[in-house]
Amino acid sequence: MNFEAIIGLEIHVEMKTKSKMFSPAPINFSDDPNTDVTLLDMAFPGTMPVVNKEAVRNAIRMCNALHMHIDQELWFDRKNYFYSDLPKGYQITQQDRPIGSEGYLEIEIDGKLRKIEIERLHMEEDTCKQLHFSNYTLLDYNRAGIPLIEIVSKPVMHSGEEARKYVDKIRELVTFSGVSDGKMEEGSLRCDVNVSIRPYGETKFGTKVEIKNLNSIANIEKAIDYEIKRQSELLLLGQDVRQETRRFDESKKETVLMRVKTDAVDYKYFTEPNIVPIKISDEFVQDAIDTCPELYDHKLNRFINDYNLDIVDAKILLNNIEIADFFEKISSFSKNYVPISKFVITEILGYLNKNNLLIKDFKVEPKYIAEMVDLLKTGEINSSQGKEIFAKVIKENKSPIVIKKESGVSLISDEDTIRKMVIDILAANETLKADFKAGKDRVKGFIMGNLMKQTHGKVNPAIANKIIIEELKK
Amino acid sequence: MKKVTKEVLVDASNRLLFTMSDEEFDLLLEEFDTLTKQFNLIGEIEGVDEEKPMTFPYEVYQYTLREDIPCKPLKKEEVLKNAGSVQDGQIKLPKVL
Amino acid sequence: MNYLDLTIKEIHNALLEKKVTVTELTKEAIKRAKENCDNAFELILEDEPLKKAEELDKLPVPVDNLLFGIPFVSKDNFSTKDIETTGSSNILNGYIPLFNATVIEKLENANAILIGKATLDELAMGGTGTSGHKGTTYNPYDKTHSHLIGGSSCGSAVSVASGIVPFSLGSDTGDSVRKPANNAGLVGFKPTWGRISRFGLFPFAPSLDHVAYFTRDVFDSAYLLNILAGHDDKDSTSSLEKIDDYTTYSKDIKGKRFAVIKEIEDSITDEVLNKRFKFILKELENKGAIIERVSIDKRLLESIYPSYFVISCAEATSNNANLDGIKFGPYYGGKTYQEVMFNARTNGFSNLIKRRFVIGSYALMRENQHDLFLRAQKARRIITNKFNEVLNKYDYIINLASPSVAPEIGKASDKLSNEYLIADNYLAFANFGGQPSITLPIGFKDDLPFGVNVTSKIFTELNLFTAANAIEEITGFSNLSVNNYKNKEEK
Repeated sequence: MNFEAIIGLEIHVEMKTKSKMFSPAPINFSDDPNTDVTLLDMAFPGTMPVVNKEAVRNAIRMCNALHMHIDQELWFDRKNYFYSDLPKGYQITQQDRPIGSEGYLEIEIDGKLRKIEIERLHMEEDTCKQLHFSNYTLLDYNRAGIPLIEIVSKPVMHSGEEARKYVDKIRELVTFSGVSDGKMEEGSLRCDVNVSIRPYGETKFGTKVEIKNLNSIANIEKAIDYEIKRQSELLLLGQDVRQETRRFDESKKETVLMRVKTDAVDYKYFTEPNIVPIKISDEFVQDAIDTCPELYDHKLNRFINDYNLDIVDAKILLNNIEIADFFEKISSFSKNYVPISKFVITEILGYLNKNNLLIKDFKVEPKYIAEMVDLLKTGEINSSQGKEIFAKVIKENKSPIVIKKESGVSLISDEDTIRKMVIDILAANETLKADFKAGKDRVKGFIMGNLMKQTHGKVNPAIANKIIIEELKK
Repeated sequence: MKKVTKEVLVDASNRLLFTMSDEEFDLLLEEFDTLTKQFNLIGEIEGVDEEKPMTFPYEVYQYTLREDIPCKPLKKEEVLKNAGSVQDGQIKLPKVL
Repeated sequence: MNYLDLTIKEIHNALLEKKVTVTELTKEAIKRAKENCDNAFELILEDEPLKKAEELDKLPVPVDNLLFGIPFVSKDNFSTKDIETTGSSNILNGYIPLFNATVIEKLENANAILIGKATLDELAMGGTGTSGHKGTTYNPYDKTHSHLIGGSSCGSAVSVASGIVPFSLGSDTGDSVRKPANNAGLVGFKPTWGRISRFGLFPFAPSLDHVAYFTRDVFDSAYLLNILAGHDDKDSTSSLEKIDDYTTYSKDIKGKRFAVIKEIEDSITDEVLNKRFKFILKELENKGAIIERVSIDKRLLESIYPSYFVISCAEATSNNANLDGIKFGPYYGGKTYQEVMFNARTNGFSNLIKRRFVIGSYALMRENQHDLFLRAQKARRIITNKFNEVLNKYDYIINLASPSVAPEIGKASDKLSNEYLIADNYLAFANFGGQPSITLPIGFKDDLPFGVNVTSKIFTELNLFTAANAIEEITGFSNLSVNNYKNKEEK
């Protein structure tokens, strides 16, 4: 029997605002424990939540990117439960009226676009961080209150691949819009997956299994594929799928049981009485959308059309928004866009990979990269000189023009000198001119080779080439 | 509505993370009896179930939000000053599983 | 002559005329607080207020700041920086807040002097003044300690009624200032919901909670609102509505329309109180006011208390979920984090509070919300609409604040009862609708005071003080306290 998998995803995204969702405490992800905390984060009696404007702007931007209906009246609710990481004993969320509803995004499956419908998007706050030791746990309240966006898809995906591409698209949208770092490894993007299966043709849903603690996009696909297989095998053996929560074990590449779900927890939701409803004006919504940093699809079009990049290179650059930004900064100093893109992809990314560095560790001024590309393009230096100079540029963050001057690295570019050498070569090989006129193009290469030999490779190839042709045609 | 029994109330109290004496639960049962009767009467008020629930005392909206400007945070010692169990600049609990 | 027996304005004048110094006043207030034996205080301050008093005595008394050097007391559910604040609950024993409530900050900035933290019903969840962790607070009008002062702002009421301070902060979620004001012969006032910032007030039920206060006359009450009203960035529910100079209330009551809710009036059987109430109404009429009886369905009035009970308990169970012994409050340890919380909460809350939390939590459960919490919220709307309907036709609703003088201890309890006591519980209608509401004394029975309550439309505090002032003129009961009431003749 064949089964159809039904997959729904809940994604939590930590926003990178300057202050928290309901308190003005600063957010600095790398700070010492309990140093980014203010009164509300500790739930001191009498403290009250005040909604962060930037968090709302971020939520609106994501709603827009996901083609959602935006509720211009904001209501918040309390989700009541006790847990060691929940300072107030409740989380402020938007249960009843999420800011965004009824949206979608598009992913590419087998070359075709597929629409994935999204049920809701809402704002809420993060809990504090727990550090577990062998027999105790420490609480760091820096994370308590960081703004979160939760995005809930409809149960409309059917494979691990779809789910992976969906999460990848969400990650791309939150990073390009500047809403979040979107790093699953660091927990700024978290994903819970619901998987059930049913025989094809069946309209009733099967028993839902939840998979938690997925820490990479690749693992989402692996976990789901494994889970579909596991559930199918159970059903084929005539066993039931239990309603349970599982996690993905990376070493075993399989999902393992965390806990069996009993009754759904009752969170006793009710309207947050300390936040009166907020009316969001049309202008505010429009402004949030208009000032949203450029999203991936738009940038891709622009890279192809404005910079004339080919789609493969454009996509490589856009793989990482910081690299794409760096490319654009370089391109503001030189119009050699295509050579710049190649240089970034081969030289810079190559350098980063080789040294296991991130783009944020690359401290060279974009202007110097532009100079570098120009020097190569005009033939003022050759590629081996280029490599030498680039190594110095990286080391000293210094202009390659200056380095070139200081180190005396240069090519023979003086036309008279080169012409004299070419004439000498022609004189020594009388048949060359005739061969050239008879259509033997390799003659050019022969002369260039001789020039290089004589100058130990230091002749400017562009100028030499020009002169060779001029002299051959004489 | 869930039927009110002593077991239900003990369970509710456990979920609120406290317990109390048996007599208190008996007293609570009495109070629930009263409350249920009163709420049945409220249910008889004309139109009550069609009405919209009211959270805020009057129709009120806010139109401005907090600017995203971080404040000076508390000092770590202040954060932890009132906590009864602290280690390494953090609140310490028995291991949370 | 003891200056603490005067009103804020009178003390201010005495300071201006150098008849008394801030230090003398402060010392006397602290002395009286210490001598008080009605269990009014969680904490009496000494060094800080005296230090501040000495500093103030070096300054000229500003003509336009009536609060300069005036001692006051705060209910112990207002957060006070570096001063233990317990909400009269064991679960907060030893809790030293890092911040001042906005109202405390405003009073400090006005150079009023905090001399103590007053007892309350535990976490403000009660109406008798008997449930705080220090036990019963007594009515100072009865030296035999057999009568309640009422709550939850019990200690705050005592401190003003006994002439310890001329004003005190309280909070009013159902009637927690306006009811004890009846029992203490005081002016007890709560403004419109949102008029005063609640930042730093320990929440009981935020949708019903109000900062409120006691004074000994109407002018002081109006003056304090000038100081305390206004939007606060830390409380986004605080209103941006324009603030008046509330002391400029009109002295002319002519043409003002008062509605007496007939069903409340009819439910009160005490002839002394009823007679006095009718006399006040008559006198208001003599001053040109219009008095009419208005009917509200008895069933609606009977719904006020149970609806209030469910809404407030439900909100309270959530608001107090932060009290878990982890971040503040006594730590009892435990083998698991649940045990840590369980121990703190089991030891920290009294039985009454626990029962309230169970009821509130039960009302919020998925399968019960519809029949309890949401039904209560729906009833709240119907009740509010009904009272607002009356207030659209009349300037004021006026009734006796309570069916009796202060009850005897043991006669009133916070246990939910089958008896419908409309007149005992109706004041919460103004918490439902957030209207400004004031209780002020109109008479005595057996040496115990009783009062009337007047309520007006939201944000019409100025108009409300006009009515209160007219009543005060009729009774002559301005500045009542246990020290001087015998000299005040009932007019």
